Amino acid sequence: MRNYYIKRILSAILTLFIIATVTFFMMKLMPGGPFARERPIQPEIIELLEEKYNLNDPIFVQYYKYMLGIIKFDFGYSYRELGVNVTEQILLKFPISLRLGLYATIAIIVLGIPIGIVSALRENTWVDHLAMFLATIGVTIPSFVVAVVYISLVAGQLGWVDAFGLDEWTSYIGPVLALAAYSLSFVSRLTRSSMLEVLRQDYMRTARANGLPKVKVLYKHALKNALIPVVTYIGPMFASIITGSFVVERVFSIGGIGKYYVESVSNRDYTMIMAVTVFYAAIYIFMVFLVDIAYSWIDPRIKLGKTSGE
Amino acid sequence: MSNMRNFNFVDSSKKRDIEQIRESLTYWKDAWRRLKSNWVAMVGLIGVIFVILFGFVGPLLTPYTYYEQVTDFSYLPPSFEIYELGEDGYVFLNGDYRLLLVTEKGEIIERLDRVRLDTINRVYHYEYQGEDIAVDYSYRLYEPDGEIDFTVTYKGITSELPVKTVWNKTYLLGSDHLGRDILTRLMFGARISLTIAFAAATVNLLIGVGYGSISGFVGGTVDNIMMRIVDIINSIPLVIYVILLMVLLDKSNMWTIILALGSVYWVGMARLVRGQILSLKDQEFVLAAKVIGVSSGKIISRHLIPNALGPILVSLTMMIPSAIFTEAFLSFIGIGISAPEASWGTMANEAIQLMEKYPYQLLLPSLAIGITVLSFNFVGDGLRSALDPRLRKG
Repeated sequence: MRNYYIKRILSAILTLFIIATVTFFMMKLMPGGPFARERPIQPEIIELLEEKYNLNDPIFVQYYKYMLGIIKFDFGYSYRELGVNVTEQILLKFPISLRLGLYATIAIIVLGIPIGIVSALRENTWVDHLAMFLATIGVTIPSFVVAVVYISLVAGQLGWVDAFGLDEWTSYIGPVLALAAYSLSFVSRLTRSSMLEVLRQDYMRTARANGLPKVKVLYKHALKNALIPVVTYIGPMFASIITGSFVVERVFSIGGIGKYYVESVSNRDYTMIMAVTVFYAAIYIFMVFLVDIAYSWIDPRIKLGKTSGE
Repeated sequence: MSNMRNFNFVDSSKKRDIEQIRESLTYWKDAWRRLKSNWVAMVGLIGVIFVILFGFVGPLLTPYTYYEQVTDFSYLPPSFEIYELGEDGYVFLNGDYRLLLVTEKGEIIERLDRVRLDTINRVYHYEYQGEDIAVDYSYRLYEPDGEIDFTVTYKGITSELPVKTVWNKTYLLGSDHLGRDILTRLMFGARISLTIAFAAATVNLLIGVGYGSISGFVGGTVDNIMMRIVDIINSIPLVIYVILLMVLLDKSNMWTIILALGSVYWVGMARLVRGQILSLKDQEFVLAAKVIGVSSGKIISRHLIPNALGPILVSLTMMIPSAIFTEAFLSFIGIGISAPEASWGTMANEAIQLMEKYPYQLLLPSLAIGITVLSFNFVGDGLRSALDPRLRKG
């Protein structure tokens, strides 16, 4: 077990190292260079800028300094905005995205799983049909459409809440809804189908035949087994929700890290792009790691460190 | 024994009917038979065919192009409330105070020039064939809840209410902020979205199947290294790498999106194919092929991949909606398809600023994305259950 953790951590570090390296050289390959503007800058200024950002060093020295910075969690200064430290920006903006992602994940778990269970238990009734109809709609509408419809309808036409920013608690509803819509629908579909499969198993009949009360059978025998694929999905989903809020943050003009990333992409702000990419990858890897550990608690049949299916 | 007389011999032609003789059912025929009986999948299939026709045949039928701008006719809705100008025709007042001369059926003739503004009385004057048309906006001022929005006075006759509502016959789904036909742009958007989706899926298929089958078939150290690489790629949020690639490739057009999507999203396919190959490669028919000296490449291409085609096909159909989503998303955040080319994502992005006043401009591309993704999902779900032998009910 211990060996497994060490192996996982080492491979996570290796992955991160490769990602940082690839990102670095991709940025160096980028056409035009970091100071290409629509109105050309004077060569003298460019020279000074390049000196300030150590761009005159040989590429491997630059690479070495960059990697050293990453180890110290220091991504340097923005190429675009004067004196803006990228690390500070990330630390300032990430909590906002994290909070949104957390709320969305909670909404998915609290709503999606019960909806799936209820539709499985009431299979082929109107409850099931309605829930699955909504879930099908949910996986086919892009999140920006959900966001925009919400803004124009609830905030605009009805005027119930403030559409933009995050000043009151009600203004979380829209962004969380738009972030969660797809996965919420997916989770309820997944829960339903996996619950249905478990309900048809022989051991369910055996448990009932042995005289266990229905609630207990459902809770102890069905639910625990049915939730395994759901948990498998929710783990990586959480990571991709907190790293994938670009659109929602943009539409609702929330100053989180997603909006920041899109802005730095359109500004061609190299340091910021590199920093956020590496940071995102780190979070993603960490989350997936946590989920893998969580499996062994939930399902004792899963033995860590052994590859399955061979 | 006397009962025997009641029996007659039947002739042999009738006998044959009782024996069930029908063509043997292959795997694919069986799958198609079950797909046909699944009405949801058939609805999806019809939807897919419709979207393909819409995107590839539609542009041939429309008189407009996706880039042609007629600024006189911008921001037009799909339907008009028309007011009568005596016997000289009908006018339609657009939301931005432009008066258009239209026919009774809803065809646009021309934009009428505004000659004078009477801001104190809130009366705007337009001119048609030397005659004055006065549009009086003051009603809302005195009666905010009244029935009358404005009146149109022409040759001394004032009409207070529109004669009727007609469909816009010139621009069937209205026009956007630059006076481009929305229907035409939707068609070109369908073409771009579908091309990207199919091309990216094909690239994924080729790389993924090639990579996965080599990894699975060769096994050992090669498999280990190849799967490590897949693990590394898989541990990055893929959207971020697509964005990075789009920045790196600098020019954003259809081909760069295909390249970016294709170069990253194949890992799922590679894993799937590897798993399939692993479970197939120890079976007897592979051994038999090996024994008679079939080369590895032929075994993979002739024996292993055809047997794994079902799951590959399902995953391919599911890849198409996700490629459409990603393209729309990239165009929406402004690094996908660039102007003047039309993609559903770009159209939605452009419409967002005008959302409150012209919601249909956002609704239409969103609806297009929704219908397309839904259709592909239906087909994919149907294929999955048609090809899954565990769900076979005979």
